[in-house]
Amino acid sequence: MSPTSQTTPASVPPSVFTLPHTAQLEALYTIIRDKTTSRGDFLFYSDRIIRLLVEEGLNHLPVVPKTVETPTGATYEGVGFEGHICGVSILRAGEAMEAGLREVCRSVRIGKILIQRDEETALPKLFYAKLPQDIAHRYVLLLDPMLATGGSAMKAVEVLMEHGVPEDRIIFINLISSPEGLKSFCTKYPALRVITGWIDEGLNEKAYIVPGLGDFGERRYCE
Amino acid sequence: MSGDKLSPLPAFSRPGLSRTTTTLTTRDILVQAKKNTVLKSHGRPPWYGEDGHRISDAFVIGIAGGSASGKTHVARRIVQALGSIPTVVIMSQDSFYKKHTEEQVRLAHQSRFDFDHPEAIDMESFASCLSDLKACRQTNIPIYSFTEHQRLDKTKYLYGAAIIITEGILALHDPALRALYDLKIFVQCDSDLMLARRIKRDVTERGRSVDGILEQYLRYVKPAYDHFVQPTSRYANIIVPGSDNAVAIDIISTHIRRQLDERATQLRQRLAGTGPRHLVAHGSPDISSETLNLTLLPQTPQVKGILTILRDAETNRGDFIFFTDRLATLLVEKATEELPYRAKTVITPVGVEAHGKQVDVPHLCGVSILRSGGPLERGLRRVINNIPIGSMLIQSEATSGEPLLLHLQLPVCIRQRHLAENTYAFLVDAQIGSGAAAFMAIRVLLDHGVPQDHIIFVTFLVARCGGISMLQRAFPDVKIVCGAVDDHLREMWLECEEGEDEQPTEGRKVWVVEPGMGHIGDRYYL
Repeated sequence: MSPTSQTTPASVPPSVFTLPHTAQLEALYTIIRDKTTSRGDFLFYSDRIIRLLVEEGLNHLPVVPKTVETPTGATYEGVGFEGHICGVSILRAGEAMEAGLREVCRSVRIGKILIQRDEETALPKLFYAKLPQDIAHRYVLLLDPMLATGGSAMKAVEVLMEHGVPEDRIIFINLISSPEGLKSFCTKYPALRVITGWIDEGLNEKAYIVPGLGDFGERRYCE
Repeated sequence: MSGDKLSPLPAFSRPGLSRTTTTLTTRDILVQAKKNTVLKSHGRPPWYGEDGHRISDAFVIGIAGGSASGKTHVARRIVQALGSIPTVVIMSQDSFYKKHTEEQVRLAHQSRFDFDHPEAIDMESFASCLSDLKACRQTNIPIYSFTEHQRLDKTKYLYGAAIIITEGILALHDPALRALYDLKIFVQCDSDLMLARRIKRDVTERGRSVDGILEQYLRYVKPAYDHFVQPTSRYANIIVPGSDNAVAIDIISTHIRRQLDERATQLRQRLAGTGPRHLVAHGSPDISSETLNLTLLPQTPQVKGILTILRDAETNRGDFIFFTDRLATLLVEKATEELPYRAKTVITPVGVEAHGKQVDVPHLCGVSILRSGGPLERGLRRVINNIPIGSMLIQSEATSGEPLLLHLQLPVCIRQRHLAENTYAFLVDAQIGSGAAAFMAIRVLLDHGVPQDHIIFVTFLVARCGGISMLQRAFPDVKIVCGAVDDHLREMWLECEEGEDEQPTEGRKVWVVEPGMGHIGDRYYL
């Protein structure tokens, strides 16, 4: 029942899982990193990565043994899915991951959180949250494509926990993270699993991930 | 469906597809005996042995004779007399007129171009197209327009004929062409009769004037006949009169039928002991997935859960479709790992270099084995943007279980041989049970020039003790990506099903994979 993730290097916190670094995955990232990639291709290839990430995230949910009868009358010892889930996207870039989520989890409920930088304190501040009523009884897939400093993701987790979701029932899914962001996030929430597609080199002076892919929401929605 | 009798695919109505009955009458064949078209009377049975190699070449007949001597008539009569034959093509020398210069086109419109000289024909291209067809490869023959007096830029794709008939005044002229014929026929006809027929045809069909026709006849047609056409009659195996030739055609078709029967016997002997019945004995349940050399999708909790839902007889259609699409997407993602990649460096919007990779494939396409390959197509489209997807309809014959190729529509990157050699193809079908359809589909791709190691077969289920072992012995370099390996393959008799028209059809033999997922095509579509 172990997840499919590759073994992670010692410097990466144990609660972080990455996708297997195949040539195929690397090729997908090369397309979405390329600044000359068209918006249509950016959409298509980022969706492919998101689907793989959500599939990996779901592998961290529990399953129970289940026996079924096949149409030919044979019995099959399989497993059944257990527990309810919901998605929560951090506006606006996190919404880009919803289509991929729903391709894998049909008609899943999706909550939304808007977090922005408070210009007075320079800290992330919650502006808006609309979450499923029974969120406390669900596993939560938290969606935000880029983990840079980790400020807004940590604020979002804080909001979810205030709504009664236990830390170990949250799975944070992103496409690219910075080592710095991962470190501070996992230090604060060690029981929370992070599924990331790629861990990049670091942050530049403007707190952009390098090499990164620029502003995910901007490229997905506006360019 | 009332009144729609033109449906070219008889398979969905589940008729008793038998080798001895034809779905087209001989009259239909005669009416349809267009040139440069592969005519089918029923599906194409296997043309290869258990080692995957084809058993014999196509049977090639060359028919020469003067202009309007009745070559096409003889060709059509032969096709008609043969009755039930899987696939025939009548190829015309006219298609191979060389590409003309502007000056030549001008002369041609004035009836002052010598179309009857061997120099007018692109013999090299003629021989190479015929040689491809004879070797059961595809070919793309040129298209010549008589109204424009020019070779068009388009070509016509041909593949899969068991019998090829080429006809043309100079069909026996070129030694390279003659070497390809199994039977050489010369149609002998009196000159005055040929001229009379020519005038009638050119006036009514090609809109020429009688004066023009006569001038052309005396200037080019007659001398060419005397110098180039008539002398080739000495190469013929048989000389057929240009009229009242029923007896000659009967003799010829008897000869051809005997030749084909000998080949069929050879094929049956080579296939003996490898029919589906015997496939099962080849493997045993203790063959591990490793010895099978398959790429099995990692059995994660989610994959196991999806498989459980798909195997469950109680699963409703909506869920079945949703989870089939999800599994197909994961399988195709896995399959793309089998493609070659090369290094690529890009600049990101942050202004720094990123060193990554890029798929290193000139052409990529999908080919779906209908109908059960259909459930994998959404997965293909989700993973490869705008992927061209070809199709083949392969059904097993009710009585023998032998596969029949009923329909073929391949992407351009496979139809053109020089592209096919650089094409990677995802061949998709729901499962590999007896393996007969997979075997035939792979053979079709190889015939087109797709290299074996460029074929990636993507499927939900493989039966461990089914035809998979034979498939891998014949085509060891074809990669297979699957979702699960099941232990058993069981022969079952599908009882009389109620057809749409409430007519109970007779039962048919099927192979079921166990525990399996039931009939995947039916559960996805019906």
